Amino acid sequence: MTIPANLKYTKDHEWVRIDGDIATFGISDHAQEALGDIVFVELPDIGRELDAGEAYAVVESVKAVSDVYTPVAGEVVEVNDGLEAEPEHVNTDAYGAGWIAKVKISADTASVELMTDDEYTTFLEE
Amino acid sequence: MSELSELNKTPLFDAHIALGGKMVPFAGFAMPVQYKLGALKEYSAVREGQAGIFDITHMGQVRVSGTGALAFLQYVSTNDVSKLAYGQVHYSALLNEAGTFIDDITTYKIADDEYYLCINAANRVKDVAHLQTIAADFDVCVSDESDDTTLLALQGAAAQAALQPLLDSDLESIAYYKFAQLKVNGVDAIVSRTGYSGEDGFEIYMPNSSAVEVWQQLLENGAVPIGLAARDMLRTEMGYALYGHEISDAVTPVEAKLMWITKLDKGAFIGKDAVLKRRSAGAEKRLIALKLTGRGIPREHYNVFVDGQASGEITSGMFSPIAGGVALAYVLPEHAETGALSVEIRGKQVAAERTTLPFVRSNVRR
Repeated sequence: MTIPANLKYTKDHEWVRIDGDIATFGISDHAQEALGDIVFVELPDIGRELDAGEAYAVVESVKAVSDVYTPVAGEVVEVNDGLEAEPEHVNTDAYGAGWIAKVKISADTASVELMTDDEYTTFLEE
Repeated sequence: MSELSELNKTPLFDAHIALGGKMVPFAGFAMPVQYKLGALKEYSAVREGQAGIFDITHMGQVRVSGTGALAFLQYVSTNDVSKLAYGQVHYSALLNEAGTFIDDITTYKIADDEYYLCINAANRVKDVAHLQTIAADFDVCVSDESDDTTLLALQGAAAQAALQPLLDSDLESIAYYKFAQLKVNGVDAIVSRTGYSGEDGFEIYMPNSSAVEVWQQLLENGAVPIGLAARDMLRTEMGYALYGHEISDAVTPVEAKLMWITKLDKGAFIGKDAVLKRRSAGAEKRLIALKLTGRGIPREHYNVFVDGQASGEITSGMFSPIAGGVALAYVLPEHAETGALSVEIRGKQVAAERTTLPFVRSNVRR
């Protein structure tokens, strides 16, 4: 299981990468492993305004349906359409080809509590 | 979620852990939902020519013996036991007086005065109590052998090749829904050409003491361990009913499309009058097979709409790597054959169409 140092993590096992005013979201390696084989991803609409903590996507494994929550508030500017045909990328490359959505971070935004890689590692151990 | 430590364990519990089995509570047992390979690859192993091995020891076994065995089984079960030949198995059901399901079962004819039943784990206590109550009026002995019996299913095109080396007789002589009492690794066992996957394969009943060795040998012969998740995918693709889903004490064989195992011409049996009444009054709902034409996965309990009107709900649904989003659902009788179907997924209507079963081609050896 990997936990890259350049990302931030939430207690709901999402990751976020912030580049300027753009934040990219996905689910962590731990999350994909716990869910098992992902067979469907429901993506948010472009232009949708997301509040921090709001469910913005759905990932479905063979047995379970799980909401994915917004780490940082903003407007959806891009989604990973590739997951419609190849949802397994969430399993095989959670931090790369398995990214789910990108948002333009709101100026006055709040975020949910974000953890560093070390903090997330500790969180998983607890 | 129950603690695993409070659950029953099959003799293969440690073997599952060693294989990376993710153990979950299932019908009072700790059972593997998947192994390291993952549900999709396990499913593919069975569908695409390998042999999958399933620990289904949670299921129950009941031996019915005595001169009244035939009369008893004719009365407690729906199928016509008089039609069973020695070494033949059939699918059947136990109904209550209301005509609804106590359980669905398979019945094995060993001799005129000896039969063997395989029952669902979750219904075992209820079934055995019911059978023993009714048995009081017949010259039969009903014995619950579940605790002493390990049941493995070996399914897939390579099943016969994997199992044959453990046996002293030729599996080729066992036809579909036939069985033999033979020795597996030198120990008495029952082997039937039956299963729940839609592939050729066997179910093997043996004493618990044989379980670990047989399991290990089958793995060495190339069998892939398969968990509950892949098992459910395989059975749903075939449209096979599962107790608690398509069948329950809320439906009769008329609704569940199981009149083919309910033989109204064989004489009296428990539930017959109620089934006759329901048949003439008409089903309250009907089981249909559907396939999504829009994107999504139809899941159990999702609502089904016909022409925009709520009509029923899904009882089993899945993502099929071959057929897409498919499901079994109960709908109002007037909607069984006509009207525009849709499934409500997270508040949105997703278009669907009726289809025929099985959802995926069956490769059982007819």
